[in-house]
Order: sequence, then structure tokens, then C-alpha cells
Amino acid sequence: MTLASTIPTQQEESEALRIRITTQLEQGTLDLPLLPVVANQVLQLAGDPNADATKLSALIQQDQALAGQILRIANSPAYAPRSPIVSLQQAIAWLGMTMLAGLAFSVSVQSGIFTIKGYEKEIRGLWCHALATGLYGKEIARRIRHNVENAFLCGLLHTIGKPVILHLILTSQSNHEVSPWTVLEPIIQEFHISAGTKLAEVWKLPEPVQEAIRLYPDETYHQATSPTKGAMITCLANHLASYALASSSLEEETLRALPVIQDLNFYPDDMDALLEVREGIQQSIEAFLV
Amino acid sequence: MSALSPYDLIVIGSGPAGQKAAIQGAKSGKRVALIEQNREVGGACVYQGTIPSKTLRESALQMVQFLQATDVFEFRMRDDVKIASLMTRLDNVVRAHGAFMAEQLARNGIERFHGRAKFVSEQEIQVKGLDGTTSVIRGKSIVIATGSRPRVPDNIPIDHEHILDSDSILSLVYLPKSLTVLGGGVIASEYASIFALLGVQVTIIDSADRPLKFLDQELTDQFCAAFENTGGHYRGQLKIQSAQWDGFSKVITRLESGEILEGEKMLVALGRVANLEHLDIQAAGLETTPRGLIAVNDHCQTRVPHIYAVGDVIGPPSLASCSMEQGRRAVCHALGLESGDAPEHIPMGIYTIPEMSSVGLNEQEAVEKFGGALVGRARFHEIARGQISGMTNGLLKMVSDAKGEKLLGVHIVGEGATELIHIGQMGLLYNIDIDRFVENIFNFPTLAEAYRVAALDIAKQRKR
Repeated sequence: MTLASTIPTQQEESEALRIRITTQLEQGTLDLPLLPVVANQVLQLAGDPNADATKLSALIQQDQALAGQILRIANSPAYAPRSPIVSLQQAIAWLGMTMLAGLAFSVSVQSGIFTIKGYEKEIRGLWCHALATGLYGKEIARRIRHNVENAFLCGLLHTIGKPVILHLILTSQSNHEVSPWTVLEPIIQEFHISAGTKLAEVWKLPEPVQEAIRLYPDETYHQATSPTKGAMITCLANHLASYALASSSLEEETLRALPVIQDLNFYPDDMDALLEVREGIQQSIEAFLV
Repeated sequence: MSALSPYDLIVIGSGPAGQKAAIQGAKSGKRVALIEQNREVGGACVYQGTIPSKTLRESALQMVQFLQATDVFEFRMRDDVKIASLMTRLDNVVRAHGAFMAEQLARNGIERFHGRAKFVSEQEIQVKGLDGTTSVIRGKSIVIATGSRPRVPDNIPIDHEHILDSDSILSLVYLPKSLTVLGGGVIASEYASIFALLGVQVTIIDSADRPLKFLDQELTDQFCAAFENTGGHYRGQLKIQSAQWDGFSKVITRLESGEILEGEKMLVALGRVANLEHLDIQAAGLETTPRGLIAVNDHCQTRVPHIYAVGDVIGPPSLASCSMEQGRRAVCHALGLESGDAPEHIPMGIYTIPEMSSVGLNEQEAVEKFGGALVGRARFHEIARGQISGMTNGLLKMVSDAKGEKLLGVHIVGEGATELIHIGQMGLLYNIDIDRFVENIFNFPTLAEAYRVAALDIAKQRKR
């Protein structure tokens, strides 16, 4: 046996990962831990009796995992909402500061922390993209005078399947070796919608959010039926986030020619206005990271 | 830019006014172009105004009646049905109405242009598409029917998230615990009463001492009583200093008196402004009034004779019913067609809970105009149909001249008021005497019987 035949090729490695992911998705045992930076901030705020409520609210609204977990728990029979909690703002108003801090604390302790050694930059990229999509979702919704809360939540959670897949890969690698991102990225891209859809179902996330996670891509947003237009708004917000965070990935001309822009009835000046908020969105993200 | 294409009529905007204008033109055998900046036709009336708010109202009423019946029939409605089903029904009705209107325009051979209109000259209009490409069309007559949108006050930061306007409130995905409503007009009162009925703690804040001041006070008093019964509060004679989201869970409203009010959400309904910002009416030789409207004569004709303006862009009454008629009459005038007598006695319908409707003179106006008046009242709890249908919270007021002979006005509060008013409207149009309501027979039991009861009330007040 030669050395070459014992070292798995990238293709073989990818195939092995695919099989593992498919098995886990079928079993439905999905987990979504918090980022260390988010968990640290939650623990600090939740442990401080003089903590500013607005800071905790902002923190919850900026992180996919925390937002998703808070929604899941707020809707559980233990908290018995008078009607389903379908927005983060609704959850915050319903639970109040004390209960929210307690919930955030327990989520941070129980969900575990991402083991991200070697992937810090990439995970930060996923996190930034999710938040940027949520923020652009808000701006798009404002322009069409549509529900801003729902648009934000759909954007924030639309790629919730990506960290799920990444976590699944990291925890299932027995040799703790760091696979190159070039191997992981296409797999994450391939499975994130099915993983996100599964997680959203298991966590009983609001139906409009489940629909946006499932149908946000260009090819499928028109299949969405929710009056909130979450999938359509998220489709454009996703592209705008990619453009804002890495403009080299997309030409402005290509962005302006996307079919979703016509479906949202956006004129060139509407797009000008959306592109103008780029700096503000970048600053919001940077502020959180600092 | 494409070659100039001559049209007999160009209509800008496809709301109630524009749609009726275009159809009148087409039915008169003319070549008509209709420019609409949205993908769908129908305007704010279909997508943000009349149709959705009335659908929401009807759905809320049906849902509350259904929930009240749960005690009798021992069933339970799923908690999440409430707002989701309301919004889905709203979406379905709006889509159906939009599709119907599009089909009606197509059936009449009206050419639709999807884009933003801008005057290039008195007879040329540039249409800019979504992709930025432009074309210019030319019309012998032009009707401006671009409608209106909610006004944004300088001191209130409407973010469509915590502080909403009458457009964004239609896409709520949950019912807030509390809602502060700024304004005491039609839109404010309608939404306030709908959300109060759905269990939201609603507070209306306005500078007037009572809501809907243009209506008869007995009607608004009864509306306020019903509103309070559902947990709502009207706070009059107050001025807003500022309103702001607290960053956590409440909208904080500071009044000029120093008082601070809190609500989970806020609805700002402080009037509407005409949609003229993209139109460049100056290029056609027109200008706006100090209130941002277009001035017209009795035929809805602007100072440029072949350009007409109809609907919300010319200001009050800003009723969909009037706008439709303005559209039709403007085109009849433009084409030299007979349009019939100018409408008199236009009824006003307010879709609050309960409904209110009014036609003709109120008591004060009758006294001012004729030197005196008699008022007949019929309360719905005295009417058999009111008792049978559980619609006992209502009042019909009939106003006559001082002799109690000539009908001058009818004012109704109660469910069905906006339908019931038309009997009074016909009575006014055909100068029906008060006694005709007494001498003739109405179906029994119906709420229309209230007309007879009110007429009898006037008859017994006559001087013998």
C-alpha cells in the first residue's frame, strides 16, 4: 500500500462528510452552540443587576443562535405565551428584562460554545453575513412599508443551517484535524437549507421564518405564500449583505439586474437608497464585534 | 426613448379615481393609456387603504363573534389562529380584488404601462420602468390620479417597526399588548376600534376634544362609549411633543403638558399627503397649492384645460366613492360627454366599530340654514331586528326642517350604518317628506324600520 492511497483525497473527505451530515440530518439530532464572544457578553450582562436592558435586547437581536434559542424557549409551554411568539421584539416585550436575562444566561450555559479553532475568520464571516442580511431585510421592509420585525428575523436566521452544519462537522471529526475551508464551504452551502429547515421545524420557529429559511434563494422565493414576503425580502437582503461585506463577490450591475428587485417593484432610486445604507450596516456590525 | 404614441386619454394612477377614469375613456371608444408605478393595479385603496382596513374590520368582528360563541358551543380556537388568519384573509381579499381590477382594465382594452410617470410637457409624459429605461407617450387629455400616502410628522420617527403608519400596520405579525394611536380622524378611529376589539389596550391621543369632529356629536359620543367598553381610551385636547422607541420594549410619548405615555407600538395617523413628488407637474404648467394639492374646478379640470386631477390629489373629501365619480365625470367633461347632474348628498361612511354614517345636514347646520330643525331618534335596542341580531348599540337620527316635514339629513351609528344610510340618501335626492317614511311599509324585522321610528318621533314633535 502506498502512502498516497492511505491519505484521503479532498473528494473522498468531502464524500465522507456528506454521508455523516446526511445521517445526522435524518436522525434530526441538530445542535447550535453560541459563539464565544456572544456567550461572554451574555454572561456578563445577565450577571449584572444594573445591566442596561437595551444592550441585552441588542445582543439577542444580533446573533442567530441566541435569537433562535430565545424564540424556541419563549414559545415553550413553560412560558405559556397568550399567543405564539413570532418576533424577537415580541419575545422581549413579553418576557421582560429579568426573565430575558435568565433565559439568555441558561442558553449561554447549556448550548455550549463553538469550538472554532482554525475557523475564526470564516465563522465570523457567517455571523456577519447573517446579521447584515437581517439589517438589510429591515431596510427593504421599510421601503415597502412592510413588517420590519419579521423581515429582520427572516434575514438573521436564513442561514441558521450553516453554523449547524459546521458544528456537526467539527464535532464529528474524530481526529480533530482541521479540514481546509475549501473542503467545508461547498458542503456547508449544499446542506445549509435542509439543515436550517430541519432545525426550524424542530425548534418550531414562526412559520414565516421557516418559509424564508426554506425558500430564500433566487430560484425558490416566488414559491413562498406568506403575506409577510419574508422569503422575497430575504433573497434581496442576502445579496445586499454579500455585496456589502465582500463587494468583489458581486458586481453592482449584476446586483441591480436581479429578478427579485423587479418582483419587489424597486426602481433604480430605491436601490440607490439601499446601497447608501451600506456604511451604516457595516458600522453596526463592527460595533458589535468590538 | 421610443417614438411618440398618441393616446386620446392618459390616466396616471390606477386607484379608484384613475380606474374609473380609464374605463370611462375606453367605454367611450377612446384609446386609453394607464400608467401605474406599482406592479399591481388598484392603488392604495386596494393595497393599503379601503379594502384591507375594511377586510381587517370584518374579519376581526367575525372572529370576536366566533370566540364569543365558544362558550355556547364548547369548542376552542387555536391561539395562533388570531392574527395569522386575519392577515391571510386580508391578503386573499386584496389579491382577489387586485386581480379583478386588472382583468376589468384588460377587458376594456386599456393599455397598461408599468412605470413612474413624469411630465415632459403639457401633453407628453415620460414613463420610467423598473430597469431605468424610459419611453414618452403623448395624450390629448390627461388625468392625474396618483393618490396619497400617510403623512410623516417631523417630530415622530416612523420606523415601521415600533412606530407604524397606516400602511405598515397592515403587516403586523402579532398583536401588541398596547397601542398608542396618534390622530382622531377616520383612519385613526377605524384602526383604534379594530385593535381594541381584538384585545389590544388602545389609547387615542389627539388635539381635538372628541374624535371625528366633523360628525354629529351624538354619533361620536356613542362611538366613544363603545370604544371604552372594549378597553380603549380617547385622550383629547393633548399635544405631542415627541415620540420615541425606548430601545427595549416601549414607545414613549411625551406630551406638551409634561405627561409621559407608554405603549408597545404606536400608530401615527395624522393625515395624508398627495403623491406628486415624481410627477414634475411644473413641466406641464401646473403647481401645487400651499397644502400640496392640485387645484381644480367643478369638472376636476386644472388650469391647463386638457389636464384633469381627481381623487386624493385634489384633497377632501378623499373618499373612494367620490374619487370614482370624479374620475368618471372628469373624463366625460374632457371628451365632451354628458355626465349627468353633479352629485348631491354624498354619504360618508366611517368603518369604525360600530360603524358611523352620515348624509345631508346635521341639526346645527339645519338650524343655521333654515332657522330651525326637528330631530327624530330611533335607538336600535327599540327595533326588533336590533334585538334579534344582538345589534342593540345603535342610533339613527333623522333631521327635518322646523315644521317636521322636509327631510334634511340622516346620521347613523351602529352595525350596518354604512348600508342603512342609502335609504336616507335616496330620500334626500328625491325630496321625500317625513310622512312618507311613516306611511310606507318596511320589511319586518329589519334595521330599516328605524327610519319609520325616527320619522314618527319627528311627527309627534310637530306643533299642532
